Amino acid sequence: MNARLPVSALLSHTENGGLSWVAGPRGAAWEAVAVGASEAELPESGTERLAIITAAAPTSTWQQDAMLRRLRDRGFTGLAVSGAADFDAGAFRLADRIGLCLLDVDRPIQLAKACWMLIEARDALTLSQVRKVAQSFEYAADDLTDLLGHIAANLGVGAALIDSSGVLQEAGAHLDERLHAAIGFDSWLDRVSVGETAAASVRVDSPGRSGLRLVLFGQGLGEAQVQSLSVAAEVAMPAVAARILIDEVAAVNDVAVSSGLLRDFVDLHGAADADVQRRMIERGWRTSGHHLGFRVVARGRLDSFSLLRSVSAGLSAIDAEAHATTAGRGLSGWLTFPDAPDPDRVERAVAALRELHLGVLRDFTVATGVGSLQAGSEGLATTLDEAGDAARIAAARSATGWFVRVDSLGLEQLLLAWTGNDTFVPAAESLLAPLQEGGGELLTTLSAYLDHESGIAATATALGLHRNTITVRIRRVQELLGIDMNDPEARLALHLACRAVQPR
Amino acid sequence: MLQRDDLTALARGYSLLGSGGGGSTTMLELMLAGSDQGPIEICPISSLDPRTPCLGVAFVGSTMLLGERLPGADPFARLLAAVERWIGHPVPAVCSLEGGGMNGLAPLTLAGSHIVVDADCTGRAVPGLDQMSLFVDRVPGLVFACDTGAGGVALVEAHRAIDAERVVRSAIIQAGGVGCAVLGGFTVGDLREHAIGGHLAHALELGRAYLASAGAPLPLLADALGGELLAEGRIVSVAASPQDPHVNAVEISGLGGAVHRLVSRSETLAVLTDGLLVASAPTIIVVVDAVSREILEVTELRLARNVAVVAIPAPAWWNERAERRAKVLPSAYGLDDLDAA
Repeated sequence: MNARLPVSALLSHTENGGLSWVAGPRGAAWEAVAVGASEAELPESGTERLAIITAAAPTSTWQQDAMLRRLRDRGFTGLAVSGAADFDAGAFRLADRIGLCLLDVDRPIQLAKACWMLIEARDALTLSQVRKVAQSFEYAADDLTDLLGHIAANLGVGAALIDSSGVLQEAGAHLDERLHAAIGFDSWLDRVSVGETAAASVRVDSPGRSGLRLVLFGQGLGEAQVQSLSVAAEVAMPAVAARILIDEVAAVNDVAVSSGLLRDFVDLHGAADADVQRRMIERGWRTSGHHLGFRVVARGRLDSFSLLRSVSAGLSAIDAEAHATTAGRGLSGWLTFPDAPDPDRVERAVAALRELHLGVLRDFTVATGVGSLQAGSEGLATTLDEAGDAARIAAARSATGWFVRVDSLGLEQLLLAWTGNDTFVPAAESLLAPLQEGGGELLTTLSAYLDHESGIAATATALGLHRNTITVRIRRVQELLGIDMNDPEARLALHLACRAVQPR
Repeated sequence: MLQRDDLTALARGYSLLGSGGGGSTTMLELMLAGSDQGPIEICPISSLDPRTPCLGVAFVGSTMLLGERLPGADPFARLLAAVERWIGHPVPAVCSLEGGGMNGLAPLTLAGSHIVVDADCTGRAVPGLDQMSLFVDRVPGLVFACDTGAGGVALVEAHRAIDAERVVRSAIIQAGGVGCAVLGGFTVGDLREHAIGGHLAHALELGRAYLASAGAPLPLLADALGGELLAEGRIVSVAASPQDPHVNAVEISGLGGAVHRLVSRSETLAVLTDGLLVASAPTIIVVVDAVSREILEVTELRLARNVAVVAIPAPAWWNERAERRAKVLPSAYGLDDLDAA
């Protein structure tokens, strides 16, 4: 082991006895360390060595000078002693001048132990790091972040879970982008250093997600420390992988429960139910206040759960209390405002949902509908209903970016949305079946006629036909259908049926 | 013969030998210039009968106070009378007790009535009476007389040097912090072995060299003084030692960033350069203003002053025997790690 121990490695070590740099070259590095109660106990030749003196430093300025000089003359290039920080400024200048790295240390014995580990007893260092990792598991972690936090705190370095695009979770310190870029993703173990920072990383084999690495990193770490950290990372990795899985299972489970609850609530259509209410309160879902429902539905195949994860991440950025859960082939959610929000705020919330929708659109083929603002428990059910309708419309509307908001819909759109369901369309088709004769021109004419308020002239202009042709065709329709077109109820049903079978 | 014109050179010589202490010579220069004596005859020890009784005179206490409480025209008269009465016969010869700073000139004030012997009991400024060569070599029968204030006289015939120092010191404090002292009870013969002979001539030579080269570049000045230029630079800090408030450490930022430390008490006692001890007492360490070339006292070492430090060899007498040396090393003042090997 010929690696030298740089002063930065000692400074970044957690148990370094309260070491701080005082004066002299910052890039000093040593091959060995000499420890003594006083100068006299140190070996005569101190070439490439750091001297650690356990007794108190002299207080007279000339004695401080003289001590630095004597040690330097004996070959030592570093001195750690308590009280060095209180040395005279002239002594600091002298240290700079003669090239002696002067360090202040509160507990010299602990520093000596750290040096011993870093230079001679790397296995002891590794063992102590591994023990610290084990201690991190002793305390229950709530989730992955918590676990990384425990590991980072115990090791005194930064811990991060990364993939090739960036940092997913980190604790203890911030993983620099340049350092991230340097980390290799191919090998099982990887050790890199960029400038002052260094990192040890290990591949995380998680069945759910691939390409993950657990990284332990810090400032000024020496080679020995990075080496021991890589072992620590290897030991910590299975726990991290397991944690990722546990978190995932817990999340899926949680979503299943919330999804079931939302279904129960919607099924009640706003009616009071003590059990549902209690369960909603337990989840922190408030039915009081004002709600704005939204629904994201799939336009193709997708995994609702990963959709929810993607949406949930974006929801936290919205300026309102937000909840979402999976429902059917998509997800439902709503924003809750404790007090009636002004229109501006509602617009902002809708704009945020739209942003969120556009973001989700990059990864999933979805359509999003947003309900209107409604108050109270019943209102929540209503706005969720509206959102569902809007989403259904949105799914057929690429022109609006697959995004539709109920407030911006005409009544006819809403009517159409209702009539577009499975029971109405067959009925409409059988109602209008007699008009299929003659290539459907009767159906077209009837539609235009109803659209133009039963005006023969207007209909003729719209279709580019002679008014007599229209008159004849309408009479023929009345004969075929046997419906009195002067009855308002009949006219409405007919008009809706035309729209249902002849979507525009 | 010491000519009147030589007085300035002699005074500068004693200032240099003060090693930063010993007090300013100005007042005695004025006193001597004011007296209408002609050339003063200075007798080497060898030119006198060894049995000639001799005494030494000096001002003791705060030299700074002496500038405020000027001594009378004949400050030693009552003390001389007391000593002569005690030992029972007149004493015709006088020598200096402390050959550094103002006291070097003190015997010359008696030139009208006494034979001035060219011998000195310290060869440089020292703070303690027990550091006089006669005490260091334990010459028997010494008598110290000093002022006690309001015209009073104390006389100590001590068998231990430290007793003389302490009793005289207390009497001087009683006298207001500064006073005169006369040492008697020895002969010119005693001075041969137990004092530094020819010291006045040495001081005169140094003073002349200094006056001749005061304007020269610093290394040349140091050469002219027979000394070594140890440091040159700006004073960047003056800090009292935490152990002894009388001890000051002065940092001089030297050429090329060298870190010099001057350790001083009542005199400058040691110089370190980059942590290495380069000179220490008894070597005489002189600090001069790098610009004006004034010889500075330790109290004049202030922040931002540009100074030069010159070491002048100590009188050989101190280094002849280990027990003599031990009396003037920095460790004699409780300062560790500053004694030259």
